[in-house]
Amino acid sequence: MARVQLQGLHKEFGNVVALDKLDLDVAAGEFVSLLGPSGCGKTTALRCVAGFELPDAGEVLVDGKDVLGLPANKRNMGMVFQAYSLFPNMTAQQNVEFSMRIRRRPRSERAKRALDLLELVGLGRQAERYPRQLSGGQQQRVALARALALEPAVLLLDEPLSALDAKVRVQLREEVRRIQLELGITTLYVTHDQEEALSVSDRVAVLSEGRIEQIGTPAEVYTHPKTSFVASFVGTVNRAEVTVVSAGDQTVRWGPAVINLQRDLPGHHDGDAVTLYLRPEDVTLGTSRNGTIPSGGLFNGRVTSITFLGPVTRVSVRTDVGPVVADLSSAEALELSIDCEVSVDIAPGSLRALAG
Amino acid sequence: MAAITAPATTPRRRGGQHRLHGWHIFWIAVAVLYFVVPLYSLLQFSFEGRYAGHAAGFHWFLSVFDDPAFRSSFWLSVQIALETVLVSNLLLVPTAFWVHLRLPKLRPVMDFVSVLPFVVPPIVLIVGIIPFLQPFTFIYSRPEVLPLIYVVFALPFLYRSLDAGLRAIDLKTLSEASANLGSSTFGTLVRVVLPNLRQAIISGSLLTVAIGMGEFTISSLLSFNTFPVYIFTVGQSQAYEAAALSVISLLIIWGLMIGLFLIGRGGRTSIAMGATR
Repeated sequence: MARVQLQGLHKEFGNVVALDKLDLDVAAGEFVSLLGPSGCGKTTALRCVAGFELPDAGEVLVDGKDVLGLPANKRNMGMVFQAYSLFPNMTAQQNVEFSMRIRRRPRSERAKRALDLLELVGLGRQAERYPRQLSGGQQQRVALARALALEPAVLLLDEPLSALDAKVRVQLREEVRRIQLELGITTLYVTHDQEEALSVSDRVAVLSEGRIEQIGTPAEVYTHPKTSFVASFVGTVNRAEVTVVSAGDQTVRWGPAVINLQRDLPGHHDGDAVTLYLRPEDVTLGTSRNGTIPSGGLFNGRVTSITFLGPVTRVSVRTDVGPVVADLSSAEALELSIDCEVSVDIAPGSLRALAG
Repeated sequence: MAAITAPATTPRRRGGQHRLHGWHIFWIAVAVLYFVVPLYSLLQFSFEGRYAGHAAGFHWFLSVFDDPAFRSSFWLSVQIALETVLVSNLLLVPTAFWVHLRLPKLRPVMDFVSVLPFVVPPIVLIVGIIPFLQPFTFIYSRPEVLPLIYVVFALPFLYRSLDAGLRAIDLKTLSEASANLGSSTFGTLVRVVLPNLRQAIISGSLLTVAIGMGEFTISSLLSFNTFPVYIFTVGQSQAYEAAALSVISLLIIWGLMIGLFLIGRGGRTSIAMGATR
């Protein structure tokens, strides 16, 4: 287990700033995900840690020691790549033994360790198979076992599940987390999949344009996003263009409705226009009965689309204040149909102002 | 070679594809005759003539095998061919690896350079090389100079074979994975890249052997009695023996080609001979 610190990491490719003085502190044994869209710098950061990219400025410290002077093969970090990276000429066991062979570990020791690791990833019976005889998910499991063979100080995972189908992805991410907890290894995980990041990490760092927009536990990042980018990238949000009615009373006007935010709006004064954010699961819809528009909502609207997502159904509503998206339980959504009229309400305290 | 799946066709088109018309047969027959008649004539000629009052049969073959000059020239060519393979691989395998891994922008340049030997005639090449090599008397007067020159002729075949092999693997990811697991760049080349380039290396090397065994112009101009030069010399005065030697030479080259075909067919990666695009 090792503590990993990225301090002022800066990297440019031509005119493009891939990393903008990025700081990150990963505690020993912690699982931190770098989450962000393509081109946000998450993979570049990971490659700087692994030794495949040299930053223009900044430091990468492992247990307080700067490792930037060390080549990739001397850093003692295990890495699983996005692309299938098993050596095609070697069996699963030989792949796992590879690093131990380089370190000249005794044959019996490395065979035992390789088989133990293949058992750990659930592939004890496939030890003699070549990569071409394994599925994509199995290949990534072997790659994980291979990365763990030398008990590395840090485990680096660069979108290892992105090439796999949805079901295998869910299974494997749970296994990655189980193994990480079992071994207690410090892990940096790069992904653009918010669900993946939120489900396995101790903390999630959301990156944009080479900087960390927010870092926190999955719950913090989801429920208390600090910027509009984080709010919109992690989950779905509704934007509400409101006017401050009384900053002291914490009330705002959204269309025809006056809403008590139940929180302060620091820096805003009466009459200011503010953009607030609202999660779809905090929106409730009242359906019309016998042609009567339900009362009690903030305002009314018409359903424009209904998307079944399994346990929840996403409903888009066109209102006078703009489009509003609501996530309802699929049972609730059965009462709705396209173009039906609904009243829109929100959970108390769910409208939030963000820094961005 | 990659398998090509034929698109679904209508019965009319399918019939049109398979039915051989008179003209098709005629042109196929012309092509077959063009290649087969000279070979058959050569083979027949190598068995013709009379020796000690009897039909020669295999006599000309046995007589060339008994000739010490045959054995020495043949083994000289084998030695030169193997040295050419060694030098070519030592030079081109690391070059192709490095260009693919670290200098991908040089790939078009290497592609261009690798086809130059196709367009520069050997006589032009040797006229340029002789003045350069003459001061190095310790090598210029020895047959070991030939592999150094043949490397240039082997370049299109070996480099393009290696290039195709390297394109068939994800070199960057495999190299990074190897480095991440503690291997040096040289270790990666030896442990990871070479085993995955085995077929490309064998294919290119067999073609290089064919060049080393069959090259005539340069060895003749530099006065080395290699196998092709020996065949030519024998042909000046002993027509039947020259025909037998030509048959032997063809059988050796065909043997190499069949080996190449079998290796290519059994391989995981398809390696195109020569040009790959």
